[in-house]
Amino acid sequence: MDLSSVTSDLRKIVGSDAVLDRAEDLMLYEYDGGVRKSTPGAVVFPQNTQQVSQIVRLAAASKVPIVARGAGTGLSGGAICKAGGIVIAFSRMNKVLEVDVENLRAVVQPGVVNLQLSEYVSHLGLYFAPDPSSQKACTIGGNVAENSGGPHTLLHGVTVNHVTGVEVVLPSGEVVHFGGKAAEAYGYDLTGFYVGTEGTIGITTAVTVKLLRKPEAVKTLLGIFESVDDAAQTVSAITAAGITPAALEMMDSWMLRAIEEYCHAGYPLDAGAALLIEVEGLREMVEEQAIAIGEVCLQNKAREVRVAKDEEERARLWKGRKTAFGAVGRVAPAYYTQDGVVPRSKMAAVLEHIGNVSKKYDLIIGNIFHAGDGNLHPLIMFDSRDPDQFERTLAAGHEILQYCVDVGGSITGEHGVGMEKRDMMPDLFSDEALDVMISLRNAFNPEGILNPDKMLPAPRVCREMLGPSKNAILAQEGM
Amino acid sequence: MSTTAISTRVGRELSAICGTDHVTEVPPETVHGCAVAVAVRPGSAAEIANILRFANQNNLAVVPVGGFTQQQTGAAPAQVNILLYTTRLTEVEHYDPGDLTIGIGAGCTVGGLCEMIGTSGLLFAGDPPAYQKATIGGLLATGITGPRRHGYGGLRDYCIGIHFVTGDGRIGRGGGRVVKNVAGYDMMKLLIGSWGTLGVITGASFKLFPWSPQKRTFVAGFATMKEAVEYRSAVLRSPLDPMCLELVSPEAGALLPGDQPPGAWSICVRGTGSDAVLARYRSVLGEAVDRELDGDDEAAFWRAVADMPYDLWSQHPQSMLLSFTVPLSDVFQVLNDTITIAQGNTLKVAAIGRIGVGHILAALLPAAGTDGNSAYVNTISALRNRLPHEASMAVLHCPDAVHKDVSMLRTPTHVGSMRAMKQALDPKDVLNRGRFFL
Repeated sequence: MDLSSVTSDLRKIVGSDAVLDRAEDLMLYEYDGGVRKSTPGAVVFPQNTQQVSQIVRLAAASKVPIVARGAGTGLSGGAICKAGGIVIAFSRMNKVLEVDVENLRAVVQPGVVNLQLSEYVSHLGLYFAPDPSSQKACTIGGNVAENSGGPHTLLHGVTVNHVTGVEVVLPSGEVVHFGGKAAEAYGYDLTGFYVGTEGTIGITTAVTVKLLRKPEAVKTLLGIFESVDDAAQTVSAITAAGITPAALEMMDSWMLRAIEEYCHAGYPLDAGAALLIEVEGLREMVEEQAIAIGEVCLQNKAREVRVAKDEEERARLWKGRKTAFGAVGRVAPAYYTQDGVVPRSKMAAVLEHIGNVSKKYDLIIGNIFHAGDGNLHPLIMFDSRDPDQFERTLAAGHEILQYCVDVGGSITGEHGVGMEKRDMMPDLFSDEALDVMISLRNAFNPEGILNPDKMLPAPRVCREMLGPSKNAILAQEGM
Repeated sequence: MSTTAISTRVGRELSAICGTDHVTEVPPETVHGCAVAVAVRPGSAAEIANILRFANQNNLAVVPVGGFTQQQTGAAPAQVNILLYTTRLTEVEHYDPGDLTIGIGAGCTVGGLCEMIGTSGLLFAGDPPAYQKATIGGLLATGITGPRRHGYGGLRDYCIGIHFVTGDGRIGRGGGRVVKNVAGYDMMKLLIGSWGTLGVITGASFKLFPWSPQKRTFVAGFATMKEAVEYRSAVLRSPLDPMCLELVSPEAGALLPGDQPPGAWSICVRGTGSDAVLARYRSVLGEAVDRELDGDDEAAFWRAVADMPYDLWSQHPQSMLLSFTVPLSDVFQVLNDTITIAQGNTLKVAAIGRIGVGHILAALLPAAGTDGNSAYVNTISALRNRLPHEASMAVLHCPDAVHKDVSMLRTPTHVGSMRAMKQALDPKDVLNRGRFFL
């Protein structure tokens, strides 16, 4: 694809210093946090919504695919552009536009880094709840595209539960608004629908998010177990005791060692598994819940329960959890992260299955996951220089996700489908259910200009009754 | 063709799909005063898909219905050829108390669901009016919630999976049965509150919550609405995390059980937890609290608050019910404008609201001896011009005579995109034709 005239036009829109098209620059944008690669034809850095709109109009007229990119920390290939396409990088649209304390809202540009938003409003006693492990780097725009989660989503919900409004550039270039500052709005909930559409409906140029007040009290516990079975049983028992912790994370023995050797978080080197548990809220309630959780852990064969005695110890325990992926990077040349989800009652069974997969494919698999909501992150270690090992890694990942589907779960809890799991969507949805989703995508993005070949597989259903998929209303409006 | 002839022909076709036992020609039900040609009670999503394909081929209008508690919502449908009951879809798709989730057919009543899970000490957060009659499908389609909206969020926050049939007869699905899931488009969000205009909901999965055994309600009374709203803001700034935080106007208070101080605006805070936690509530809420409720009285109070919209229009068919969602800072202005404009048009206002999340319900009642119809039209017209940009509004109930003269919905969301959604799932406008504003 000859992009030279398009890049020339891009420079007219954003200025010559805001477009990259040299091979050595483009290499930096050919991957994300996953295992796939594809080199874009150009990378453009808009500074405002109007520029984004102009870029989208230009790309649509030139029939060049475009994909929005925040920090590229995604794990499913969502921000990887089709070869020769345009990446719209949002690093220059990184301003907090408004903090509305009375309404507990912030309006931010998509390039604002997740943790920086919480730091920005911290002096007001507020924070933004979704906390992906990559929160030091990942952006709110990317969180919206992927509907990102994090450890504390157990109590507070994922990104969609914290977004009340979005400003979106449609593939036509039109700038539209869904929702606003109110918690919900009458009319179709297009805000809720839009979050998690992985850049296939429009490009986000501003986001209205909820800000939460920091809890009065927080307690963090580390339950240490001889086996993953005992830890899994404890997760169910905490729930059965009527307690919803703010976070409930599990790490197996392999992960505990890898993390401890990396950052000295205070994790045991000889345990079978550990649970990192946090409760927050009213001081009296937190005290009671921490005691109750400690008792539940001991009743379920915990060998020790530690309660962080101060903020420093709490921060160290969390540092271990949040730098786990970095720790793994130190001991394995590469790793492949899965994001399956199972009903909570299937936790012990899925761990046993992962153990079997590890033996079958002769691969090391470390487990770290959001146990409280059944969201697994098995990390499969491999050496990317060994093609056979890479193939076994992909097969092992597929087999784990297939098991999640078979027991009533999902192939992704917070990382998105992207390129990576697109081919597994028919395992989860019937052709007809996928066709419904495809018709919604086509209502906005019929030509596949926005993030093509992501999330939804190519349609297989013959829709005789419905005629052409072109959406008459949007066609009328020139979309 | 005469209505009877249409009924006979449509009835014959629907009998072939669902069996004659489940089809009623020229049924007694009406929707907003609109007569119905045929009522049908399909037993599966596949049967619903066949009915909708038949409706598409013959340009028939279909109105889905559950417990018939919210059919007054929105505009009157332009026509009702087929009234499609989902009440036979009551199957439990999955339920394991340890998972804190349940999947259930759309025809199950909210009361039936609560009864099923109550024995395991679990809570379904939805608390719509008339929950013993309201079905899961109707609950989702109307997006209606009650006082627990404050503590547990809206349906969008705890509905984790949905089954539906699109207006053009395709069997769709979104989400699943696990609490965290981002595979595919979030069809739950799109269908919730779509007023039955995109698809017929056939089943759904929900997160459940632990049922807190001890609850207590603290009622603080104020002479003015302004003071009550300021107290709400103080509660929101406090460390308390109540299950419910409700504003009750003096007129609404008079309709609730128990002794309400006359003329008082109340803020009702429902706390849950141990004695120590509830003692903390008492200490933080302070001297503004003039009474506390617990036990059966407390439960009855909240049931009455939740039921108030339904009870009001059951007892006062001539009333109008408005619902607003607004940013927290707009609550005072919107409610004040509503009261001022309505009173200027000789209407009385009874208001309740989850004003900690910006949700207000205002019932307008005509003065004795009048039907209120022209007052309603004037009030809505004036109010729409006063509403802040971010506010959305829906008319949840109004007399049949007023429907055609008032606009039923106001939204900050891009209408062209909503039309595109409708076009994608129901291109022939088979479902609830005329109900929405599209």
